Amino acid sequence: MRLSGGLIDRGQTLKFRWNDTWLKGHAGDTLASALVANDVKLVGRSFKYHRPRGIFSAGAEEPNALVQLRKGAAQEPNTRATVAELYEGLTATSQNHRGSLAWDLMSANDLLSPFLSAGFYYKTFMWPRAFWEKIYEPVIRASAGLGSLSGKADPDLYDHGYLHCDLLVIGAGPAGLTAARTAAQSGLRVIIADEDFLPGGRLNSETYEVDGQDGPGWAAATASELQGMDNVRLMTRTTVYGSFDSGVYGALERMTDHLADSGSKPRQVLWRIYAKRALLAAGATERSIAFGNNDRPGLMLSGAVRTYANRFAASPGQRVAVFTNNDDGWRTAQDLTAKGVTIAALIDTRADAPDSDDFRVYKGRAVADTKGRRGLKSITLENGTQVECDALAIAGGWSPNVHLTCHHRGRPVWREDIAAFVPGTDLPPGMSVAGAANGAMTLAAALKSGHEAARTIASDLGHAARGTLPQASDEQFAITPFWHVKSSKARAWVDLQNDVTTKDIKQSHTEGFRAVEHLKRYTTLGMATDQGKTSNVLGLAIMAEASGKSIPETGTTIFRPPYTPVPIGALAGRARGKDFRPFRLTPSHKWAKENGADFVETGMWLRAQWFKRPGEKGWRDSVDREVEMTRSGVGICDVTTLGKIDIQGRDAAEFLNRIYANPFAKVPVGKVRYGLMLREDGVCYDDGTTARLSENHFVMTTTTANAVTVFRNMEFARQCLWPDLDVHLISTTDGWAQFAVAGPKSRALLQKVVDIDLSNEAFPFMACGECKAFGTPARLFRISFSGELAYEIAVPARYGDSMIRALMQAGEEFDAVPYGTEALGVMRIEKGHAAGNELTGQTTAHQLGMGKMVSLKKDAIGTVLSQRPEMIRDDDLRLVGFKPVDKGAKLDAGAHFLTKGDPEDMAHDQGWMTSVAYSPELGHSIGLGYLKRGADRMGEVVRAYDPVRGKDTAVEVCSAHHIDPEGERQRG
Amino acid sequence: MADITLTAAPILGLDLTLGANTLRERDDLALVSVATPQGGEDALAKALKAGFKLAMPEPTRSTQAGDTHAIRTAADQMLLVFPHDGPDANTMVQGKLKGAGYTTDQTDVWVVIEASGPDTLAALERLCPLDLHDSAFPVGASARTVMEHMGAMILRMDADRFLLLSASSSAGSFAHALETSYKNVI
Repeated sequence: MRLSGGLIDRGQTLKFRWNDTWLKGHAGDTLASALVANDVKLVGRSFKYHRPRGIFSAGAEEPNALVQLRKGAAQEPNTRATVAELYEGLTATSQNHRGSLAWDLMSANDLLSPFLSAGFYYKTFMWPRAFWEKIYEPVIRASAGLGSLSGKADPDLYDHGYLHCDLLVIGAGPAGLTAARTAAQSGLRVIIADEDFLPGGRLNSETYEVDGQDGPGWAAATASELQGMDNVRLMTRTTVYGSFDSGVYGALERMTDHLADSGSKPRQVLWRIYAKRALLAAGATERSIAFGNNDRPGLMLSGAVRTYANRFAASPGQRVAVFTNNDDGWRTAQDLTAKGVTIAALIDTRADAPDSDDFRVYKGRAVADTKGRRGLKSITLENGTQVECDALAIAGGWSPNVHLTCHHRGRPVWREDIAAFVPGTDLPPGMSVAGAANGAMTLAAALKSGHEAARTIASDLGHAARGTLPQASDEQFAITPFWHVKSSKARAWVDLQNDVTTKDIKQSHTEGFRAVEHLKRYTTLGMATDQGKTSNVLGLAIMAEASGKSIPETGTTIFRPPYTPVPIGALAGRARGKDFRPFRLTPSHKWAKENGADFVETGMWLRAQWFKRPGEKGWRDSVDREVEMTRSGVGICDVTTLGKIDIQGRDAAEFLNRIYANPFAKVPVGKVRYGLMLREDGVCYDDGTTARLSENHFVMTTTTANAVTVFRNMEFARQCLWPDLDVHLISTTDGWAQFAVAGPKSRALLQKVVDIDLSNEAFPFMACGECKAFGTPARLFRISFSGELAYEIAVPARYGDSMIRALMQAGEEFDAVPYGTEALGVMRIEKGHAAGNELTGQTTAHQLGMGKMVSLKKDAIGTVLSQRPEMIRDDDLRLVGFKPVDKGAKLDAGAHFLTKGDPEDMAHDQGWMTSVAYSPELGHSIGLGYLKRGADRMGEVVRAYDPVRGKDTAVEVCSAHHIDPEGERQRG
Repeated sequence: MADITLTAAPILGLDLTLGANTLRERDDLALVSVATPQGGEDALAKALKAGFKLAMPEPTRSTQAGDTHAIRTAADQMLLVFPHDGPDANTMVQGKLKGAGYTTDQTDVWVVIEASGPDTLAALERLCPLDLHDSAFPVGASARTVMEHMGAMILRMDADRFLLLSASSSAGSFAHALETSYKNVI
């Protein structure tokens, strides 16, 4: 029911839909407070037993009131009604029931509870084994569980961001607000974040005074003062969910969750906050007391009852009883009385509790049972006294929110005087704690600890500490620990969300699962979406009792991020669909798109894999044509993606001589050399060509895939291995549009393009030089990957689009064709060039047939270890070629070789096929592969055995150089 | 082939107005990296002063003379940024430095986007991991960083005007990331 007062805006009425009913609330309400105001008690069904449950808390700790918000694709399950801000048209439905919420068919589970106790999974579903996946698991999954997903793509936007500050204050309650103000007045750059939409924390829930102002008024004034300071960023609706390394904090800001329409803006932003210091002022969470049927709708934490009454002007009942073991429960009774709500009784477990003129007090008593299936009707005390009431406020004491202090594996310590865990001494670096989170459980103490913590931090960071301490008085805070009512016969609930009872915990102890981490996993205590915020300490206390140990001896489970759930969408941010990663485009991309190119992703690059011409039915038609026309005329391929590294310096040649396994010191100016790169362990990892443009200037080409790795390795070598060498590196991969021009007519074509003599004498195989192409400065390299007479020509990338168009125009008279990566692959396989398929991470130079290239007259990276006996064995794998005995047969990469007559097992494995292609020139399928003693087995017929595809093909071993083995074409 | 000449094209031709902000590709700027030869620090500093009136930039800072900026990019490397037309920026720099530094034309390696306007800092908050507060990143400050998985350089030209550099091959993705950032905060 709605009360008077509160911090809601009664001038603004909001209609919202709960299941099939339209209800009204006000701006400033949460979904939960609006439901309380509308006397909705039953809001959901419990996880395991489908017990009726009501709103239990008023904050992020809520275990019961999990609802589905919104409809259609935007539907979000398992949202806590207690933190969902009300907006016009909000749609919420209850979850975890079959049939209606009131008549849940699955509540039959409750009758089966004797069979569903702790560990029932492990005991019940062991046999028969085959039933698990097909029967047990589907049934369990269908009956247990929480809300449901829409099954559609999330239509909302999410974003990421980065923030920096001197001090991050986590929590904008009294301690946090004071700390932020003191720090800001001392000149620090401050970020203060709070998960609530209204700063103030408990001040908004209580009837305290600060500096002569009422609590909410002081909080609002302080927040407004902070907002006006340009060195402060006050972030509401923002949960700091984790403390990570190096002073980095994760925070989730809910930008538009409180709006009916996001306006096409990101719904949530995941911030990475870099903070020099952090002050945790996250307050405390109230906990329950375990007694019979303590889970009915209408039972609520005592502090939450005050929040609803004072902040939201709503009462969960008309006759409210209070059950407490501390002074806090009294405040609830007093505040409700002041608001005109009848207090049915106050039951205090302490025999020395005070008296009251306003309501009946039972001292030294406890509640043993409750009645009312879908809403509380009465409570029964241990002595049999029955009290009629429609709500019960439970005050079991407060647990400081130490979670973030434990994210680096710090352990909290027990404080007997407040019967609670407080942060230990091993906090994350740079973090301190203030207020109730640090055990300062009363208002004046919280304000003081926030103020003093901020002053200390300001001094630490070299600022003169300023600011004044807000004045307030300390309220009564005395507690006598009381965990559960032992005389209760009915089930007493500890973890409401996961349906764990006191009996489950005792059973866990009896069955030997006594360590807290075992207890957690055996009973699922604290493993639900609320992570046991209201139940962990209670569960530990009951375990401690069962084992006869103290609570600190029993210990706690470890807290890990996130503090509250973070949607996967927010973690993904913008990285969805085509924005999952960047795309790199070649300079001829636009032209290629216009000319029928089919693109393939190679790393981040989009490369043309073939160019479809009219009449071509499949990719093979296009690729065969591109190969044939290149080999008979001239083809052009964009090879910009190959890594290019500019290497300069007096010692550049010496540097390259140490990087490449083969000699490089004496490459003449104007020449290109093929080079093989080894890892330190002697394994080949990249190859390419490097051109010497002048005495101190080289340009290296790497494979597309390894461009970054090679650069990084060389930078490491330059800076760390040989800092004495004068050598400088810079990537120019994107700077040059580079095209391979290959085929017997390539010289004729290029002679039309460049201004230098391309005769074999003037510009022989492996020559390089600077020239002009169509009048634009260019670089020309006579190198060949296809095995044909070929060149690579490069112009500054801004001319790339123009260049491909000009080359094609100039090539018209030669029937020049563009070719893609598939034709490139076919030609390199025909030629026997190793590529990514052959460089497996275990490949030796010896296996590639390049053992002799490794110079032993110098010390290059990997030379020494490349000479280990295993890596130079003569009977090792060797890269050779293969052709099918039946020329019509198609070869497959991945097939393993077997000697004829040998059994098909790994012991007789002779190697494998690495690359295959259809060779248009030879008219049949060809392959490259590694074969044991391959070089000595030319002409032998072996089996290409492929059990995956069910194939067994007879293949003849041949040279890897399927065409032009002498290399006459490329030198011609 | 006297009848065919090549024409330079901007990478994106980006010129966007987003609210009161603009995103503009600066294809009028040339970029040339200059590496310091070992033992040649003083000679390069003198040549830079003589050729460009520029002081050597300190780490995370740039120096400026007229339209020319020198950004420190590595321990022994800087990047000269200056208005220039045509593919001969490197030759021009070499001429002015007279062999005092190793130069490499970087004009086509990077896309240069000028981002300006009142929402620029808020947009960059969604993209740039660096602290761009005045006290940490004043006008003239520069840094290399990563934005949306792409390597980037950032130079602060003014309170709310930045030059952003990223690889030219992924310029489309970079511009999209920037545009998205503005749209998300305006």
